Amino acid sequence: MRYVIFIAAAISLLAAGPVLAFEDDSGCLLCHKYPKMGRITDTGAKRSYQVVPDTFSSTVHRNVPCTDCHSYIKQLPHREVKEGVRCDSECHSIKNAATGKNFSHRSIVNKFKQSVHGRDKIETGLDADKPYCVTCHTNPIYNPDEAKLPEHIVDRCVVCHEDRDFVVNWYKHTSRRIREVKRSPSEIVELCSNCHSDKALIERHVRSAEEEGRELGRKYPIAVESYDDSFHGKVTRYGFTKAANCLDCHAKKENYYLNVHDIKPSRDPDSPVNEKNKVDTCRNCHVYADEKYAQLDPHPSSNKDSNAFRYYANIGYNLIGDVVIVLLLGMALLETMGRRRDGVSWIMHKGSSWWRKSSRGRDRIE
Amino acid sequence: MKLSAEAQTVLDKSMRINRTDEVERAEIERLIEDMPDDRVMLYKNVVSNPIGDLPRYSIHIRIQHMLIFVTFLTLAFTGLPIAFIDQIWAQPLNDMVGGIDISRVIHRTLAAVMIFAMIYHVVYLFWVLVRDIAMRRFDIQRSIIPTMKDIRDFRWDMQYSVGRGDQRPEMDKFMYKQKIHYYAAAFGNLVMVLSGSSFIFPEFWAAILPEGSASYFQEMMRLSHPHEALLALLVIAFWHWYNVHLAPGRFPMQWTFLTGKITREHQIEEHFLEYLRNLVELPEEREYLSDLLIARELSPKTYDETSGAGESL
Repeated sequence: MRYVIFIAAAISLLAAGPVLAFEDDSGCLLCHKYPKMGRITDTGAKRSYQVVPDTFSSTVHRNVPCTDCHSYIKQLPHREVKEGVRCDSECHSIKNAATGKNFSHRSIVNKFKQSVHGRDKIETGLDADKPYCVTCHTNPIYNPDEAKLPEHIVDRCVVCHEDRDFVVNWYKHTSRRIREVKRSPSEIVELCSNCHSDKALIERHVRSAEEEGRELGRKYPIAVESYDDSFHGKVTRYGFTKAANCLDCHAKKENYYLNVHDIKPSRDPDSPVNEKNKVDTCRNCHVYADEKYAQLDPHPSSNKDSNAFRYYANIGYNLIGDVVIVLLLGMALLETMGRRRDGVSWIMHKGSSWWRKSSRGRDRIE
Repeated sequence: MKLSAEAQTVLDKSMRINRTDEVERAEIERLIEDMPDDRVMLYKNVVSNPIGDLPRYSIHIRIQHMLIFVTFLTLAFTGLPIAFIDQIWAQPLNDMVGGIDISRVIHRTLAAVMIFAMIYHVVYLFWVLVRDIAMRRFDIQRSIIPTMKDIRDFRWDMQYSVGRGDQRPEMDKFMYKQKIHYYAAAFGNLVMVLSGSSFIFPEFWAAILPEGSASYFQEMMRLSHPHEALLALLVIAFWHWYNVHLAPGRFPMQWTFLTGKITREHQIEEHFLEYLRNLVELPEEREYLSDLLIARELSPKTYDETSGAGESL
């Protein structure tokens, strides 16, 4: 069957006579250009393995030949893929322009592995809950800005740089890196919340930590709900960009793009939210923050276990509110009943509200 | 009408303060004598102008009310969608007020206006107090300061409401209900300003508060701001607006907050002691009342005659 597909694919490829947007030296598109190239996993999920050449040509990896990353593919048709792409593998076709060595994401992957989130490509057990590179780096495959290049700029470049393809690629590469492409604060919160608000995941880790006597962050079980309940969290959800999001406090400010990969637990002396470093972290925004300020809870919660004081204060407030409203409305109701009994009407008529008959027998003289 | 000892004291004090001459005193006393014993018959038979007959609030108080009214509601509409972000109405309301980047500017600007209104009010009250004391016109019972009488009035009024008495108490310019509302609003405003300041200047509060108390203070303020705001809005929407818009006789609204005047029937019913002062201070009101008593034959003497129960003149 596989051979039939392969042959059919080869014929149609030849028939179409395509001009590929990227180099497909290994002939991967022979099969992977087909929309139905996919499978249903053991858990029932549908996986598509289709590669759309034009779309792939707009991605950050457009210049990397398939087999640089999918290095385990040695023959066509290939065997079942067990492991998939590891982001710390080494490209053989792309050189690091600064060092001349083969390009690789290995250094940042190694940094990431030392963080609290660090894991390998294939993990089992609790570590499988941790994010791998592609959990966060979803690399938008379509960037409208790059899809439609400003012609007047390209036209100017080709005056000297005659190769238009080179210019287009160079423009896309550079402009993507110059432009701020990190997630907005609300998107960052949403990304972290994907795992940190997963109750089953949290329960697994809390239980395991208890059994093993490991320490977990005090706010770990309520990190997302307490942040969402904070002023920072609420205004960020509305799209405000100047309030602290997860990474503003949990990743070191200096060398931000590197340090978001190196998040440490608060008990680690290197963490920006460690007791020793909290004041400096607060001062990133609250410039007059001092030791006492750093005691304020950025993850406020009325959860009894987290903050009993706030829990009881909240109950007190709710009680006072309910009692006040009931008493005031009760008073208004009683007063209305009393006055109605005495003949008051809702609407004034000929200069008086007391034209109704009173059940007490003293009526307005008409 | 034979005045109660309390009402008589108020009347005497008012006449003393206003340096009422003998002729006027006699006129007032005669008029009061001619008023029906049953005060209910008085407020049921007067004719009132819906937009108000008798002076109650100065232009300053009306401006202060308007400032607090507009700022409070706008502050609530810009603040509540943030505090109660998970509610279904929060997002549309936040969009309606311009989104977070606009609403936070509106909220903080109007907070400053509200604080200005509070300062304006306190300064105005202080000025009025000094002026009245200097002119020997100050009367604590006529002020908003709570007295023991308010507790008595409250009990009496509740008894009337449940049908145990046939008269509402003779209350002063500010009855117990208004004093509760005034102090609740004053307290609420202070809580809102204090807690709001702890959001804008958290570093300041942390710096001046004793070690260990800053976080408790901040937690209380974080709870207080939305709780107090919601409570205030509910009290305004369900109680204040009921009292001034929807209650019988007040529908569709009392115009006092615009005209500064209260209707005659309302003054006699709920602020009888103030009405006695009106009689001292406003000759035209005496004239009106005198004409009314004759026209409607409300005088106790006429009463007795018509019913045949009393002695003839």
